[in-house]
Amino acid sequence: MSDNSEHAITGGNRVFWIIFPIAAITIGLLPFVIESEYLLRLISLVLFWAGLAGCWNIMSGYSGYIDFGPVVYFGLGSYATAIAMSKWGVAFFPAVGCSAVVSALVALLIGVPTLRLKGAYFAIATFAFAETMKQISLEFDRTFSVKLFEGSHGITLPMSAHDNTFFFYCIFTLTLTIALIHFWIEHSKFGYGLKAIHEAEAAAEISGVNTAGVKLRAYIISAAFLGMYGGIEAYWITYITPADVFNVQKTVQMVIMTLLGGMGTMLGPFVGAAFLTILSDRLGTAFIEYYLIMVGVIIIGIILLMPRGIIGTIKERFGLRFI
Amino acid sequence: MSILECNGVTKSFGALMAVTDVHFKLNKGEILGMIGPNGAGKTTLFNCLIGVEKPNNGTVIFDGKNITGLKPHKVCRLGLAKTSQITEPFRSMTVFENALVGALYGGGMKLKEARPKVRETLEFVGLGPQMTKPASSISVPARRRLELAKVMSSDPSVVLLDENMAGLNPFEIDEALEIIRKIRDAGTSLIVVEHIMRAVMGISDRIIVLNYGAKIAEGTPKDIVANDEVVEAYFGTKNICLAPA
Amino acid sequence: MDCFLQAALNGLLLGGVYAAYSAGFSLIFGVMGVVNLAHGELIMLGAFTSYWMFVFLKLDPYFSVPFAALFLFMFGYLLQKYIINRVIELPHIMSYILTFGIHLVVANTALKLWSHDFRTITTSYSGANLACGAINIPYARFVTFSLAIVIVAGLWFFLTKTETGRAIRATSMDKEVARLMGVNIREIYAITFGIGAAVTGLAGALISPFVIIYPEMGLSYTIIAFCVVVLGGMGYMPGALWGGLILGLAQSLAATYMTAGISVAITFLILFFMLIFRPTGIAGKGLVT
Repeated sequence: MSDNSEHAITGGNRVFWIIFPIAAITIGLLPFVIESEYLLRLISLVLFWAGLAGCWNIMSGYSGYIDFGPVVYFGLGSYATAIAMSKWGVAFFPAVGCSAVVSALVALLIGVPTLRLKGAYFAIATFAFAETMKQISLEFDRTFSVKLFEGSHGITLPMSAHDNTFFFYCIFTLTLTIALIHFWIEHSKFGYGLKAIHEAEAAAEISGVNTAGVKLRAYIISAAFLGMYGGIEAYWITYITPADVFNVQKTVQMVIMTLLGGMGTMLGPFVGAAFLTILSDRLGTAFIEYYLIMVGVIIIGIILLMPRGIIGTIKERFGLRFI
Repeated sequence: MSILECNGVTKSFGALMAVTDVHFKLNKGEILGMIGPNGAGKTTLFNCLIGVEKPNNGTVIFDGKNITGLKPHKVCRLGLAKTSQITEPFRSMTVFENALVGALYGGGMKLKEARPKVRETLEFVGLGPQMTKPASSISVPARRRLELAKVMSSDPSVVLLDENMAGLNPFEIDEALEIIRKIRDAGTSLIVVEHIMRAVMGISDRIIVLNYGAKIAEGTPKDIVANDEVVEAYFGTKNICLAPA
Repeated sequence: MDCFLQAALNGLLLGGVYAAYSAGFSLIFGVMGVVNLAHGELIMLGAFTSYWMFVFLKLDPYFSVPFAALFLFMFGYLLQKYIINRVIELPHIMSYILTFGIHLVVANTALKLWSHDFRTITTSYSGANLACGAINIPYARFVTFSLAIVIVAGLWFFLTKTETGRAIRATSMDKEVARLMGVNIREIYAITFGIGAAVTGLAGALISPFVIIYPEMGLSYTIIAFCVVVLGGMGYMPGALWGGLILGLAQSLAATYMTAGISVAITFLILFFMLIFRPTGIAGKGLVT
C-alpha cells in the first residue's frame, strides 16, 4: 500500500474521490428505494449519530483533547431553534442557522479559557460546563423571571408539516458536510496542525503551530455543527427538555461510537455510529439495561484489545493511511 | 551585522536564578557555539529567546524587531527556530509529515509549495529514503536529523541547535557537522549548544560560555581554551588542558 | 441567624462526608493519574453492602462499615490488577474511557439485579436530632461526619507513616525511581486502588443510614468527588477535607437561600472556574499534568 503512504508527498487521493461520490449518491437515493418508514428512520438515525460522533472526532479525535461536554452545544442548538421557532416565529432553516451561530459564539467564549487546560482537567471542565448548562436552562426562567427556556416543562415546537424524508435529507446534508470536513482535515494544513498538537503540543508550538488558535478553530467548528444537529432534532421530535437535550448519555454515545470506530480516523465515527445504532435498534428498548451493560463491556473490550478502534486497527494492520 | 541580540536577559524560577543578565550578539552567517556545564542555563536561555519562557528582564532583538515575550509560534514564523533537546517527533505521523508541519506553519507555506520544499530538506539532511516511515519507527540518529529537517523546512534565518549531536557516534557527528556547515553556507546563522567539545570547537566562529546562568567568557575557540575561568568552571582546576580537535 | 447557623452546620456535616468519599478519588488520581469515572459505583456498592446486611442480618449500618471496606478493597484490588493495570502505560485518555465502561457495567448490572427501587435504611435513630437551642444536630449525620474525619486522617496517617504508604507515595512521585528501588509498581497500583476503593466503600456504608440507595446513584457522587478534589487540589490528600467542607457549606447555603437547582449549578460553576483559574486547588498543592 505504498501508494497510500506516499500520498502526503504527492497530494490528492484518487480512491476517496471515486468511493465518496458513489457512497454519497447511493445513500442520497435511499428514500426513493425504501418503502418502510421504520427503515428510513433507522438510516436517518445512523446518519444523525455518525454526524454527532464526527463532530466529536473533529475536536477530540484529532486534537487529543477529550471533550466530555459536547452535549452543551447540541442542547444550546436545540434551544436556539426551539425558542426562535416557537416564540419568535422564525422559519426552520434560519432557526437552524441561529443554532449554529449561538453554539459557535458560546464555544468561542468557553473555548478560550478552557482549552488552556490539559488532559483530565480539560475533560472535567467540559463535563462540569455541560452540567452547568443543564442546570442553568432548568433554573433560568425562575431566577430571572422570564419565559425563555420554560424550565423542566420544556418547549413544544410548532408541529412540522414535513415527513421523514425531509428530515432524512436535512441530516444527510449535514453529515455529508461532516464527512467532507474529515477529508479536508486529513489533507490540509489545519489537519496537520491538529495532529501535531495531538502528538506533542509543545513541539508543535515551537514548530510554528498556533496551538491555541488551531484548537479553538476545531472546537468552534465542532460546536457549530453540534448546534445544527440539535436544532434539527428539536424540530424532528418537536418537544425538548433540558434533561433530554443536555443528557450525558448523548456525550457518552458520541465518545463510544468514535472510540469504537477509531479516534482521529476519517471513517471511524461513521463505522462506530452505524454499529452501535443498529445494535441498540436490534436489542430494542425493552433491553435498555442489557444495552448499557453491553456498551460497557464493548468499551472495556475495545480499550483492552484494540485501543485504536476498528478503523485504527485496520489502518495499522494493512498500512492504510487515509481512511 | 547582527541578526540576533540578547540584551541583559534574566530569568529566575522562584529563588533560583537560571539566567542572569546575559548579553550577546549573533552575526549574520555566523556559527556561535554555546557551552557550559550541566545546569548552566543554556536551555533556559534558548527558551527565553524563542518565547517558551518569558524573561524577567532584558530584551531579545531579532532582525531589528523586539521579540521579547512573543509566543513561540510567532517567533518561529518570523524565522527564529529551535530544535528540541529531547527529540519529540510527532510519533504517529510520517517523517515527511513531521517536516511538513514545520514548512506549513513555521514557514507559512501553502501545501503545494511546502511539499517540494520538504522533500528537498529531507534529502538534504539525508532522510530521503525514510520519508514515508512513521516517525516512531526511525533510529535515534535519524530522529536528530528529523529535528533538523523540521526546523530547516520552515526556512529560518536563525537556527538554535540544542544538543543536536547528543548520543551520536564520531562518524555521525562528522556528518552532522557537515550538514551544519552547509546550512551556514546557505546563509543561515546558527547557535549551537553542545557538550561534545571536539564538535563545538571545530565548527564555531565564536563561543560563549555560561556558568551558573551568567556569561563568563566570549571569544574565538582558541581564546576560550586558554581561558582559566572556563577551564575552572569545567574541571575545578586549571591543570587539565582542553585541546581543540 | 438560626436559619443561617443551621444551614452552615448542615453544610459542614455534609462536607465531612464529601471529604470521606472524595479522598479515595484523589488518592487514585494522585498515584496513577487515573480519573476514576466509576468512583460513584464504589460508593453505591458500599451503601448496598450496608443495606443488604441490614436487611438480611439485621446488622446496624455502622457495624457493616468494616465489611464494606473489606469487600471493596477486594473489588478495587482485582479491578486494578486485572483490568486497569493493562492500560496504565497508555495515554491517560484510555484510563478514563475504560473506567467509564466499568461505570456502565457495574451500574447497569446492579440495576438488573436490584431494580430501580429507591431504598432506605430505617433504624431506631433515623430522623432523631439533638436539639441545641434553636439548632438541631441529626445524630446519624453527626456520627458519620466524625467517622469520616477519622477516615481521612487515618488515610493520611497510613500514607505518611507506614511502609506501604511510603511505597505508594514514592511511586506517585517518580515511578521509575520507585521501580529501581525495588517497588513492584503494578502491585502498588493494585493496592492503591484497593485502598482507594475501600475508603470509598466505607464512606458509602457510612452514609447509608440517611441517603436514598439505588443502583444509579453513583454518577452524581462521582461528580461531587470531582468538585471536591479539584477544590482541594487533585492528588493532595488533606485537600479533600478542605474541598469537602467548602463545597458542603456552599451547597447548603445556596440551597437554603436560593433553590436546590441553583445549588447544583453553583457546584459546577465553582468547579469550572477553579479549573480555569486555580487548577492546583485552594491550597495550591494539587498536581497539574
